[in-house]
Amino acid sequence: MLKIEDLKVSFDGESILRGINLEVADDECLAVIGESGAGKTTLGLSIMGLLNGNTAGQINLGDTNILTLSEEEMRNLRWSHVAMAFQSSQNRLNPTHRILDQVAEPLIAHGKQEKAPAREKAAGLLEKVGIEPEKLSHYPHELSGGEQQRVLIAMALVNEPELLILDEPISSLDAKSQVEMIAFLRRAIAGRMTLLVTHNLSTAAKLASRTATLYGGRIVELGPTNLMLSQPRHPYTRALLRSYPNMTTVKDLQGIKGRMDRRVIGCPFHPRCTQAIPICREQIPALENHEGRLVACHRGGIIPALSVTDISKSFKTLKAVDGVSLVLEHGETLALVGQSGSGKTTLARMLSGILEPDAGEIFIEHRKAGQPSKDFHRTVQLVFQNPGEALSHRLTVLEAVREPLEVQGIGTRAEQDKAARKVIEEVELPTTEEFLDEYPHHLSGGELQRVNIARALVLNPQVLIADEPTAFLDSSIQAKVLKLLMNLQENRGLSMLFITHDIAVARKISDRIAVMHEGRIAEQGSTSQIITSPSSPHTQSLLDSAAGLHSDTEIARDE
Amino acid sequence: MHIDPKQEVVKSKGGRLGLTLLLVVVLMAIFADLLTPYDPLAQTAQSFESPSWEHLLGTNHVGQDIWSQLVYGARTSLVVGLLVAALSTVLAALIGASTALIGGVYDRIVMRLVDAFIIIPMILLLILLSIYVDPNLGSGAIIAIEVLIGIIVVGIAFYMVRSLGWVGLLIIGPVLALIVLARNLLPTTGGLIIILSLLSWQGGARTLRAQALALKEKPHVAAARGFGANTWYIIRRHIIPDMGPLLVADFVFCVRRAVFLQAGMAFLGIGNPNVVSWGSMINDARQWIFLDAWRWWLVPAGVALSITIVAITLIGSALEPALDPRLRGEVSAQN
Amino acid sequence: MLTKGNLLTYLIALLIILTLNFFLPRMMPGDPLMAIYGDEALVQMSPQLKADLTERFALDQSLAEQFASYWLALFRGDLGYSYSYNAPVTEVIFGRLPWTLLLAGLALLLSTAIGIMLGIESGWRRGGRFDSGVLSGMVTLSGFPDFFLGILLLLLFAVNLKVLPLFGAEDVYSGLSGFARLIDIGEHLILPLTTLVLARITGGYLLTRNTMIGVLKEPYILLARAKGLKPRTVKYRHAGRNSMLPVMTQTGIWMGLMVTGVLFIEVVFSYPGIGLLAYDALTFRDYPVLQGLLLVSAFCVLGANFIVDLLYARVDPRVSYAH
Repeated sequence: MLKIEDLKVSFDGESILRGINLEVADDECLAVIGESGAGKTTLGLSIMGLLNGNTAGQINLGDTNILTLSEEEMRNLRWSHVAMAFQSSQNRLNPTHRILDQVAEPLIAHGKQEKAPAREKAAGLLEKVGIEPEKLSHYPHELSGGEQQRVLIAMALVNEPELLILDEPISSLDAKSQVEMIAFLRRAIAGRMTLLVTHNLSTAAKLASRTATLYGGRIVELGPTNLMLSQPRHPYTRALLRSYPNMTTVKDLQGIKGRMDRRVIGCPFHPRCTQAIPICREQIPALENHEGRLVACHRGGIIPALSVTDISKSFKTLKAVDGVSLVLEHGETLALVGQSGSGKTTLARMLSGILEPDAGEIFIEHRKAGQPSKDFHRTVQLVFQNPGEALSHRLTVLEAVREPLEVQGIGTRAEQDKAARKVIEEVELPTTEEFLDEYPHHLSGGELQRVNIARALVLNPQVLIADEPTAFLDSSIQAKVLKLLMNLQENRGLSMLFITHDIAVARKISDRIAVMHEGRIAEQGSTSQIITSPSSPHTQSLLDSAAGLHSDTEIARDE
Repeated sequence: MHIDPKQEVVKSKGGRLGLTLLLVVVLMAIFADLLTPYDPLAQTAQSFESPSWEHLLGTNHVGQDIWSQLVYGARTSLVVGLLVAALSTVLAALIGASTALIGGVYDRIVMRLVDAFIIIPMILLLILLSIYVDPNLGSGAIIAIEVLIGIIVVGIAFYMVRSLGWVGLLIIGPVLALIVLARNLLPTTGGLIIILSLLSWQGGARTLRAQALALKEKPHVAAARGFGANTWYIIRRHIIPDMGPLLVADFVFCVRRAVFLQAGMAFLGIGNPNVVSWGSMINDARQWIFLDAWRWWLVPAGVALSITIVAITLIGSALEPALDPRLRGEVSAQN
Repeated sequence: MLTKGNLLTYLIALLIILTLNFFLPRMMPGDPLMAIYGDEALVQMSPQLKADLTERFALDQSLAEQFASYWLALFRGDLGYSYSYNAPVTEVIFGRLPWTLLLAGLALLLSTAIGIMLGIESGWRRGGRFDSGVLSGMVTLSGFPDFFLGILLLLLFAVNLKVLPLFGAEDVYSGLSGFARLIDIGEHLILPLTTLVLARITGGYLLTRNTMIGVLKEPYILLARAKGLKPRTVKYRHAGRNSMLPVMTQTGIWMGLMVTGVLFIEVVFSYPGIGLLAYDALTFRDYPVLQGLLLVSAFCVLGANFIVDLLYARVDPRVSYAH
């Protein structure tokens, strides 16, 4: 069993790994995922004892701490006990030796076999990974990148190591070969201690039983692979999932705001995190157990930005909202989908503090929001459905956007103007004096909605509730406004509740969907799950009526 | 990647040693008139006098003062080396950059010729040329060369001072002084300088062409083309400045080669016998090897020549990391 | 790499030499015979011989016809007649060539081999004491002109210590034969060979060392170490082999430089090869010999390049694949 304790690695004073704790059981495959630069390969190389940086901590393989071994002892350990399938790259294989010789070399060098049987075994392995027999005596430059990767994998297996390290094992293969290689690797690593290092989440999903997320040289989340990839608890794991192109997620790809910086004090992820609080800037969070997995987060993982429990509202005899409980998590987009009259707008107005609920409670993060206060409005803002009506026709663009600041009494007039101009620029509107002095009736629908969004953002809210913000717009303008909202959500780290009757829009922009019907939540779940396997008939009928581009004849043929 | 040749040379121990040694030789050449009272070609004493206060290194077989010959020999070596390097580097740069940028038939023909010239045994060609080409130049040719050299030296001086700052000034100042002082060498060595220049630009042109080809592919050059810049503009504004470090290195290696070849030719007795040169001193001294005179005749000349070449080599090696990024400091093995 | 392009380059090189050989003397003012044969030979010639030669080179005819007869003579292997040696130029040159091939060939072999060995060790221990020592030694060594180095060795071992012979390739008058003669030849070879090797070693050493430093950063070296190979195996089998390659491509060019080096060394040690022949021909103004030498030595360099090209394809699998 492999047990890594407080492993720290630095090069020239720059820390690459900052205290890694990991365990891999004898028959287990553990995946380590993360962006390039996170320290994944360094982790692999440190176990091979191939780093020339400063290394501290312990890497225990069985009873031996390999960091205390001499170079000669380490050399004997390499490949016979720990082998690594290196990432395929230019010049990874020696250009002047035949591939068969290179694969057989470790067997001969470690005195496991004579030359002839070693080559025989190497040839067998190469064939298993899909190298054609006539290519065995080829030189590396005569092989494709994918074939070179197969050679590297065969080479790693040739001495039958106890611990196998796989570094991006399928990155150079084409899609079809990837499937074959995954199948081969599943057989090859069965019962073998394996550390998989990859940024490819699907490889992790298919090979590893447990997964660890590496960020800034630290493990930020560790748990069973299926849970990690379906319900990430650390904001970074979720961000990785969001930015990973795959066939399971239906939402558009989204990046992660900011970039990785190794010199951060406190939690390494806090500059890019949507829910950072002062302590995140000061202290490094410990990896602790939260709901069945380990998360290194001062807030215990992703927390709700806004939640309601059992909230109701009636108008005379009509129960518009009937006992709804809903959670909007930090940094996510939740789409509230339902037909008109299902109570969406009423719910939105209660959530934004405009309408007082009859019963139930609203929480901001974990705090109960009592009487709507100025503070509450600074946190939660609403974008209205009809952009023309939501703006006073007596106020110019600048005055309209400045208004919330005046109401809240924030800053001097000059500061307010400056903040307003900045946010107008952010929603991609011109900031010329001419435009700022325009009145709403001179603006197009798209411009009006942008002014609305700017007005909502000028207070820097945490939560943005958008109530059918594109209902009154042409589809080309709708697309632009939706992109704008997604970008704002990414750049500002907003939590967004997006209310729409159109499940097709929800599918593209939301992480999760809640379907509302007659004042109640009929169904909620991850967007991909709701779209592909809805369980409520109401969801099904929304899906059936959603826009598609199939012609009727095609539908007929499908059926 | 920004390379500063000045930093490379000043930073390295070898580079500093090379600069110091070369400075000594350069000062010797500049102040030759002050360092010795004798004309190096005049018979000032008996033959084969041993070293004395009058004649620091004694006299040679025809009674010339050896110390004077040593000091003036520095002048010959450096002037030939510097002028050949200047001419052939300019040729190499122009031809290297133009072949890379113009390409096509012109590139193919010129590079084929360059390859062919690299194969031809240079020293034999030099010997043959020296027989048929009169090393003494007419006054018209001398003026033409002076003008050409003047333009090139001023150009290089401008470039060095601008790109190297005080080190450039340090290098180019003495060089200018030397060239002005040694103008009377032109009539006797001008032919050799031209022949050597014509035979030394090929290697440099090949290297510079490769670099120019790489630079040509850089987006900022493509961008300049996009603004409608012509080839000459691109050579002047983008290629030549970016080739700076390579040009400096090519120059240094040309100096080294020319100093060596000049000495070699003189050693073989080729060229004007009235040119004072370390090579001819070694050649003369070699004939009297059984006398003790080699100690203060042959050895000082050979050591002076070797020190000069070692100094230039040291400067060149210090520049090498600037040219070959693989030789620069260790890069930590990260992801 | 033996390509059509290279072959063309060789041809062009030969063409340049031949053209120079033809036009240089004929462009001189005055009697072309004097230009071709030198003034001293001309004085000794009888009028009959002059007429013969004029006819032979078609000197009284147009330049085009002269050019044609020049080529015809070349194809017959006729490089002209040497008056200082009283023999055909071809005979004179080929009588001297074996000595030069022995000296230069051995020197090239030894300096490349030693250069590669030291370069590999030096690059492997980059920055260490061995590396810095050898590196500074090499840089200093390369500053010594080969002829000065030769004279110093001559002064030390032949003139003062008297342990090695002063000049020549063998003791012609001793009448030695068989093994004794071989030893004699070997003794005469030691000093010129040592000088040449010392003067030429730096190129191969520096190139190997620099390549080695680059190669050691290649991903396959990390892989080789990861496989748990012995440091020796990594150093030679994986890094060394790849570090030799650029040296091999350069050998052809060094061959050309070797001609220069061997000329000076042969002069210093009076070693009877073609270098000394060139020097003597220069002294005696024996122009036909000089022209013939330029041609023959160019052929030698081309031949060496040709062999290197063939060998290289065997060492670097990427080359044979590319063509």
